[in-house]
Amino acid sequence: MLKAKGLTKRYNGTVALDSLDLEIGPGEVFCLLGANGAGKTTTINLFLNFVEPTSGTATINGLDVTQHPIETKKSVAYIPEQVMLYRNLTGIENLEYFSALAGHTYPSLALLGFLDQAGLDQDAAARRMAVYSKGMRQKVGIAIAIAKKAGALLLDEPTSGLDPKASNEFSELLKKLSASGVAVLMATHDLFRAKETGTRVGIMKHGQLVAAHETKDLGHQDLERIYLEHMRD
Amino acid sequence: MKTIRVIAIKEVREIFRDGRFRAASATVLVLLLAAFAAGWKHQADVDAQHRAAQMETREQWVSQGEKNPHSAAHYGVYAFLPRNMLSMVDTGVYPYTGVAVWLEAHRQNGLLHRPAQDGTTIQRFGQLTAATVLQLLIPLMIILLAFGAYAGERERGTLTQLFSLGIDRRKLAVGKALGVSTALAMLLVPAAFAGVAALMSTSGSGELAGNTARILAMAAAYLLYFGVFVALSIGISAWTSSSRSALLILLSFWIANGLVAPRLVSEVAATVWPTPSSVEFNAALDADLADRTEMDAELERVREELLAAHGVSDLSELPVNFLGLSFQAGEDHANAVFDEHWNGLFDTFERQNGLQKKLSFVAPVLAIRSLSMALAGADFSHHRDFVDAAEGYRRDLQRRLNAEIESHPVAPGETYLADAELWEAIPTFEYRAPGVGWVLRNHVWSLVVLGVWFGVSILACSTAARRVRPV
Repeated sequence: MLKAKGLTKRYNGTVALDSLDLEIGPGEVFCLLGANGAGKTTTINLFLNFVEPTSGTATINGLDVTQHPIETKKSVAYIPEQVMLYRNLTGIENLEYFSALAGHTYPSLALLGFLDQAGLDQDAAARRMAVYSKGMRQKVGIAIAIAKKAGALLLDEPTSGLDPKASNEFSELLKKLSASGVAVLMATHDLFRAKETGTRVGIMKHGQLVAAHETKDLGHQDLERIYLEHMRD
Repeated sequence: MKTIRVIAIKEVREIFRDGRFRAASATVLVLLLAAFAAGWKHQADVDAQHRAAQMETREQWVSQGEKNPHSAAHYGVYAFLPRNMLSMVDTGVYPYTGVAVWLEAHRQNGLLHRPAQDGTTIQRFGQLTAATVLQLLIPLMIILLAFGAYAGERERGTLTQLFSLGIDRRKLAVGKALGVSTALAMLLVPAAFAGVAALMSTSGSGELAGNTARILAMAAAYLLYFGVFVALSIGISAWTSSSRSALLILLSFWIANGLVAPRLVSEVAATVWPTPSSVEFNAALDADLADRTEMDAELERVREELLAAHGVSDLSELPVNFLGLSFQAGEDHANAVFDEHWNGLFDTFERQNGLQKKLSFVAPVLAIRSLSMALAGADFSHHRDFVDAAEGYRRDLQRRLNAEIESHPVAPGETYLADAELWEAIPTFEYRAPGVGWVLRNHVWSLVVLGVWFGVSILACSTAARRVRPV
């Protein structure tokens, strides 16, 4: 579903991502761990074709994102650290707008259903985005992904700044989505959330994927130890 | 098309939920309606005054009693400049050119009673007309509506969300432009209906129908002008990195376009083609009028030929009244002087206007201003057309009165007196302004300039929108 082959990005001689090889299939949740500047966000931006690769390819469903920028985005949903939506529109209006732009027109009841699946009740859906908390906005982001019927999710620090309860709810939603066959690539600093949610974790350092493990083979402490070992070098 | 519609509807919804837009649009709407109301009131007053004055001057003319035609020629008549109903929207040069002209013997007079002369000091800072609102305030409003179209979304982070959907960038730009245009239309359409209602109430549906082509041309020209600002604002917003930069650039353009360029271009035109002061003009005119050497020689030649042809030695023995010929010779001499001076002055004004038109590529307001006042029948070309028509009427009137004297020889010491039959036989001055085709032919350059500005703005907007990066 999501595949990177020799994916490299350099900015004025500085390597942001160095020959990344990665494949994430349906139902997999791959969590990218690493310090700031390790190349996690660059990887996601390359899959979204927000930046052009220096070399290598990023493909979604077998299509190169640089050659098929519009088609590849039809099958992927993106949730950034801060889901930013239109302040003067309500939750349901934002969902309706983004769904329509993604090519899906739904009746209000269906839209409310998506928001409900994402954990947002009807009262909240009718309120303008200006009064939403970060957790509520992230839920609308999830609802947009559900409504888009995306086969892949690209998440960039989606739980950063969320309280533990909201963070846990978010993880549960992700698990549900991956169980339905969605491939997920999530960049995060949260080792605990990565272990809880991910099926695989990868550790990035200086633009390179230096380690990748199945989460079922690791305990929380194992993951923390491995991560710190890589960070120490 | 569906994507464009979805984007446009969302833009309109957001704009209308923005309190700043509601406040700004209410202000502009009030100003526009106030300008319409002021124009309507002024137009109604002027029309009534002109109708009454025109009737009165005719009444005075036909009831002047028995009189020598030359005395009647000096008595003269007034011709009143009929204002096109659209001058309610754009007063053009009307406040500075006068409203009536006295048509008398031996003299081509300038127009009298300039409305600007009656203006208060505060009015000198600028008169609020619908044209001012349309040319200056609506573009400002477009800028305020559109400067954040891309830059604002980039700052708020919604642009990455949008672009992650794989949206077609051209459709996004068109949708945003359509959204801003729709919001604007919701403000302008009711104002336009109010304007048409005001036009109908002052002038009636007949005159309205007669001006349909002018109204449609004016509406099309303003739409093109607004289109320039919509495309430019969205393009700049897409091109700049922050909404603050976008606003700064657009406001600078607005100031340069609306406030600096018109004054600068006027100054340039006046420097390149200077006009004499009224004192200088009148002094030169009077000097040439006073030089009657050639005319006297020509009159003497005609006198000798006439006497010889009729075999008489005294003018009183001629079968014609030589005084009529003499008066007409005076008119012909003066007319040649008037043609030279007035046409020279008017040609200079035309050259100034022509230079301003040529320079209008530097700012779209120059092109729309020129087109707007022309379509409203209130530009200098219309003024000149009226002056020429009134002067033509004056010359015909003088010719007719002098011919009347010529055909009535009198004994020495006697004077020929004409009566009401002659006064009534002279038609009233009727003036019909040129049609819209004449206006558009005179303003092809302004149309081209507006079209080029529109095309370049669309191209710039399209290029900037294609190059927008979400991060």
